[in-house]
Amino acid sequence: MLILLSTLAGGIVAAPSAATAPLMVTIPAGSYAPLLRSTQDSPQVAVGAFLLDATPVTNAGFLAFVTANPKWRRSQVSRLFADSSYLAHWAGDLEPGASAPPDAPVVNVSWFAARAYARWADKRLPTTAEWERAAAAGYDRPDGRNDDQLNRDVYAWLARPAPAVVPDARTARPNLFGARGLLGLVWEWVDDFNTALVTGESRADSGLDRDLFCGAGSVGAKDTTDYAAFMRQALRSSLKANNTTSSLGFRCARDAALTPAPPP
Amino acid sequence: MKPPRPHRSLARRTCHLTSDKFPIAALALALLLAPAAAAAGEAEAKPCAACRAAAPADSCCREVAPASFSKESLYQLDGKFTDDSGRPFALGDLRGRAVVLDMFFASCGYACPLTVTDLLALEGRLPANARGKAAFVLVSFDTKRDTPAALARYRAERGLGTRWILLHGDPDAVRELAALLGVKYRREADGSFSHSNVITILNAEGEIVHQRTGLQGGLDEAAQALGKLTQ
Repeated sequence: MLILLSTLAGGIVAAPSAATAPLMVTIPAGSYAPLLRSTQDSPQVAVGAFLLDATPVTNAGFLAFVTANPKWRRSQVSRLFADSSYLAHWAGDLEPGASAPPDAPVVNVSWFAARAYARWADKRLPTTAEWERAAAAGYDRPDGRNDDQLNRDVYAWLARPAPAVVPDARTARPNLFGARGLLGLVWEWVDDFNTALVTGESRADSGLDRDLFCGAGSVGAKDTTDYAAFMRQALRSSLKANNTTSSLGFRCARDAALTPAPPP
Repeated sequence: MKPPRPHRSLARRTCHLTSDKFPIAALALALLLAPAAAAAGEAEAKPCAACRAAAPADSCCREVAPASFSKESLYQLDGKFTDDSGRPFALGDLRGRAVVLDMFFASCGYACPLTVTDLLALEGRLPANARGKAAFVLVSFDTKRDTPAALARYRAERGLGTRWILLHGDPDAVRELAALLGVKYRREADGSFSHSNVITILNAEGEIVHQRTGLQGGLDEAAQALGKLTQ
């Protein structure tokens, strides 16, 4: 055991147990239509098959992570990697408490913390393309844009204020791929959130400032009808990597090739 | 010539447990073993022995070793980089020098050459006796094409001197460094990168003391910040 511990990089002390690690579902190869793209980009980006957690990482899962990795506890984390509201709804360093039920998605976590969790779990965060690819499916069809029930649910969620206690992800209806709560539960970090090239100033965003962004003059919006996608893009572009909010969590992904194929 | 590396002292093998079980032993050991950490104002850092006693997990020291950098230090980032001579490089190797940091890619045709010209101007504005206290660091977004060899060619083309450090990084390391600096970037279909233009100045501990965002605004503030650090 000591040998195993000493060979793991980055001081990772233990893998998450099966009890706290969410099940993963396979998202088949497909494509993603980026909301914002450069003039030379093709309208569809191919996304290879990958595995995605069926539900967001829970408070119980995150507790196992901070228990094993003291530097990610609320009282010890560097402000560089998580701002002052990191795990603010938890009762203590190792006590999630009443506002953070074990099976509810963990929120108030930074991108750095989400990434560190994913590394510890031998996973990674999904890319924007992967996340959007997974979330594009409806409840029972590949193209969620035609799923009226899904659209009603998503816009109803957007219209509601964030609840004080985030609901259990297992109560969310799975989409075609078996993933729950991608839309309508919490916002989720993606690995490349900092590719969202907007200045944060609405007047400037229609034509990005060439002073601030090299090459950005060619980036523009494609489909202006997908309001929920605009909301996600706006959120990603407004975030800094150490930011935490009470409605922002994450789930992990893994390359499909790294896992043995299921038995025929 | 490669700049000298700071030697890895015992001070770096300390940890930050909150436990107050061994305050006296920890203090004594800290004074014995970790003078640099104590001098850096890291009173809470405990050496490995006390740390092991408080939490017997064997990996405790390894895990929190980078915490001997200050809590605001970018050098806490443990990403893997390689310099343009092909040698492994950790950001913490820059400790002790004032650092002017820019993220770029070698085939950039617009902003990056201008920013490198700005950095050369900053170097030129330093008094001769202060230049040795500064390092000019370029980290590439282009983890595929900007190999150490490509960066060495860039160094030659731009005539960058010995105080310049050109770094290739793992994709993860580059993304995390960009996130810390507030630099946004994305790879375009043609292999170029759209990216923020940010010059960052770090003090000897690796803490951000100044950032210039955008190409405008001149260099006076950056030169002033760098001047203070290299007095």
